Amino acid sequence: MKYLVYVELKNGKPSGAALELLSAAKKAGADAAAVLAESGCEDAAAETAKFASEVIILDDVITDPNGRPTEDFLTAALAKLAADEGADGVLLSAAPFNRNIAPRIASRMGVGCVTDVIGLTVEGGTVVFTRPSYGGTVLEKQSAADNKVVATIRSGSFDAPEEGAACEPVHKSVAVDDADLKAKITEFIAEAGEVVNLEDADVIVAGGRGMGSEEGFKLVEDLANELGAVVGASRPAIESGWVGRTHQVGQSGKIVAPKLYIACGISGAMQHVSGMMDSGYIVAINKDEDAPIFQIADVGIVGDVHKILPLMIDAVKAHKAQ
Amino acid sequence: MAYLISDEGKDLLKDVREFCNNEVKEQSKEFDLSGEWPQAIYDMAAEMQLGTLDVPEEFGGPGLSRIDHAAILEEMAKADAGFATSFMTNGLSLHPIEFGGTKEQLKSVYDVILKGGFGAFCLTEPNAGCDVSNGSTTAVKDGDDYIINGTKCFITNGPVADFFTVFAKTDKSAGAKGMSAFLIFKGTPGLSIGSHENKMGIRLSQTSDVILEDVRVPASAMLGKEGDGFKIAMKTLDIARTWCGIVAVGLAQRAIDEAAAYARTRVQFGKPLGRNEVIQFKLADMQMATEAARQLCAYSLTLMDRGEDYTTASATAKCKAGDAAMYCTTEAVQILGGYGFSRDYPVEKLMRDAKIFQLFEGTNEIQRLVVGRSVIGKC
Amino acid sequence: MEFLVCVKQVPDDSVEIHLNPETSTPDLSQADPEAGAFDTYAEELAVRFIEENEGSVTVVSVGTEDNKTCIKNSIAVGASSGYVVADEGTDCLDSAQVADLLAAAAAKIEEQEGKKFDIILCGKESTDAIGGQVGPLLAEKLNLPLVENAVEITSVDGGISVKQETDTGFMMYEIATPAVVTISKPDYDPRYPTIRSKMAARKAKIPTLSLSDLGITDLASEAKISSLGFEEPKKRQAGIKINETEAEEAVKKAMDQMIADKAL
Repeated sequence: MKYLVYVELKNGKPSGAALELLSAAKKAGADAAAVLAESGCEDAAAETAKFASEVIILDDVITDPNGRPTEDFLTAALAKLAADEGADGVLLSAAPFNRNIAPRIASRMGVGCVTDVIGLTVEGGTVVFTRPSYGGTVLEKQSAADNKVVATIRSGSFDAPEEGAACEPVHKSVAVDDADLKAKITEFIAEAGEVVNLEDADVIVAGGRGMGSEEGFKLVEDLANELGAVVGASRPAIESGWVGRTHQVGQSGKIVAPKLYIACGISGAMQHVSGMMDSGYIVAINKDEDAPIFQIADVGIVGDVHKILPLMIDAVKAHKAQ
Repeated sequence: MAYLISDEGKDLLKDVREFCNNEVKEQSKEFDLSGEWPQAIYDMAAEMQLGTLDVPEEFGGPGLSRIDHAAILEEMAKADAGFATSFMTNGLSLHPIEFGGTKEQLKSVYDVILKGGFGAFCLTEPNAGCDVSNGSTTAVKDGDDYIINGTKCFITNGPVADFFTVFAKTDKSAGAKGMSAFLIFKGTPGLSIGSHENKMGIRLSQTSDVILEDVRVPASAMLGKEGDGFKIAMKTLDIARTWCGIVAVGLAQRAIDEAAAYARTRVQFGKPLGRNEVIQFKLADMQMATEAARQLCAYSLTLMDRGEDYTTASATAKCKAGDAAMYCTTEAVQILGGYGFSRDYPVEKLMRDAKIFQLFEGTNEIQRLVVGRSVIGKC
Repeated sequence: MEFLVCVKQVPDDSVEIHLNPETSTPDLSQADPEAGAFDTYAEELAVRFIEENEGSVTVVSVGTEDNKTCIKNSIAVGASSGYVVADEGTDCLDSAQVADLLAAAAAKIEEQEGKKFDIILCGKESTDAIGGQVGPLLAEKLNLPLVENAVEITSVDGGISVKQETDTGFMMYEIATPAVVTISKPDYDPRYPTIRSKMAARKAKIPTLSLSDLGITDLASEAKISSLGFEEPKKRQAGIKINETEAEEAVKKAMDQMIADKAL
């Protein structure tokens, strides 16, 4: 059995979530061929080759204004490459771009698709995927006929792969018809603001409705600065416009698993909790002592965020000074 | 338990509940503090046609049954009693026209309501509260017109009303029989809004003085004939009391819902508050008082549907519902303890909202007079 | 533009769903059925489009007769007609089978109403299964242009311009119609039905399309994905809860605990 593993780049390097796919393929008992398709990905391919027995660099890629393959192109290319390589499936990380193309690749390969996988086991020769449904309060187990599948896998679900003998990346090209390229990209509009990398953060400080205002939310940013953390937010804070939507943690935002997660003025609605439940250590600050967030917090502070946070910022400063 | 409503009513109720939960319930806290009129919320409610329930089908209303309408009004009151009061007051200001107005007058006010407008019922005066016929507002005949002078107070919807049903003396010597009713539209010269009341509760509704200074209206603005005013006012209050009760029931129900939710999650002495019988008994008494009041309202509505006399039933319903609202909201504060007294929790507002339901549209003492006299009869 | 909006009926997503311990299946008894959130965004986007331009919105749902409730809600907020695909087995299908039925239903509705759909919309994902597959699979099945996670559609010469939400901004597309577009959350909320529109919609006739209406003798393509059962995620244990009157004391306790646990 052989799966293609699509490796996207993050800051010029293979993304951590994509490398974890190699571990997933191994656990499924499949040989893996890593595929890279972004312009200037040679270095990343060499890095990937330390972990994979086969690395393919796709040539003649049709790219969007950001130098990444277009959805139409990559859909067609991966489906064709899978056929060329005799692959039984394709694994992709569960980034939105990949979630868009995964079902289409599956359709062209004539196989099933499983999205947002968070774990897998092999039972009697069948690969059994676990994925969340109903906002994450229920997990469903699914299998694909003959283990032929296109799956997207959430970051943090599998360990990083072990380094082995590096292979030599090979360049390949697939013929993509014009008929496969139906959606014409005219422009990319970047959103103002910094790049938010919640998925790879070790520490996240997140704020919710309880921060009260844009001004109040600044306390979250201040604590994050002090801790070298990335700023997260729950949906009410985003919808109130206190912080950009790229900061959203939860079912409709990013799924994160930092070592430390500090939730400030977040009540713990399941939409949010399902996106941060796997954090290593959770600290919650909320004035409502019955807030559901306290049920999952390692340390819960019942109190007013506007009083607690300034003191905590000072305490963190003092701790760092020691 | 609830009103026994149609499938259509259930469907509509679900939409209204969603609207109230998303757009009114939380938002009302801010306006309760400021006392400002939440125009955006009322605009959305108008867009959803929530005000149109008072308009009969033949005039372009949806044609819902009274009981379906009641269930929807209760839902609005659960989100915010002041919000529901603004709409309830539309009914109050429409009834005098329904009892005494012409078809043209009716059409003109229903059109206002269908567009999302409001009406105000101008009866009470500084010296004429319960003693309605003691009013000093006068309407003096001048050719084909009447000239009205006087000051009305505690007028719900006063500052936002598009039309006013005004009661004035056309014959000062004739007591109750000297009172007449008029339909006056906003913008009529001489009609102005006086000081706004800074109220204890139902602060999402607006209440003010309405001042009439040489307001000249044509005789055609009169509802019914000269001297019909008192009769129209009493018939209006008879019917409006039930609707007032319906709003009070919604408020009482909200208090039960809040107290029960708190009792389920609040843990003291190692168990949820709600496992204590003392709390269960409190909630049971609240529930029984509220449900009894609700069914009294329903009974009164049924009498209206059947064209039977509802004066006593309506007074009974309003009195029991107002008392239930005060009782349940007070008990809800008790169940929440210190949190019940805190503005960070919802129930203190409910308690402030409740008091008015023992006061307006006839104090509960007046309701007891109505009911008491019906029991005693002539003696 | 003629829109077809595909709507999935899902349990109310504000109700937390857990497994029924006896059956080990999700207990949906406390959650009223409703249209998926993203499907309602798609409806609203379509209705706004035809209000500004012209055209009509038709809705379709695959499931059971029960789905007519949510179709009636769609009609109350601006759709002009609605259909359900309901037959034996249409309530438990995998995404590819749903897409196949929707494709067949689109053709059947076009034939019955004598029109051609220009834009087929789906929510980007349902709120129950959260698969996000039906839209893209439908585009593949119909061999139509596709843009996913869109928040805006405007008319341009020869087709439509579509604004796609991405991780870092918005990708602008131009595509020919007919096309399939999946919808994310635009910066507005769906409208509420009005009292009168709801009452009228209750009386609307919602035709049922059976498998034989769609020319499908049986659900031939057997499911490629099988569900093997459900489980609850591992519960996280609550740690300590600090409830001090003085904020200074609370922060000190919390910091001491975090340092002791090596969380900092």
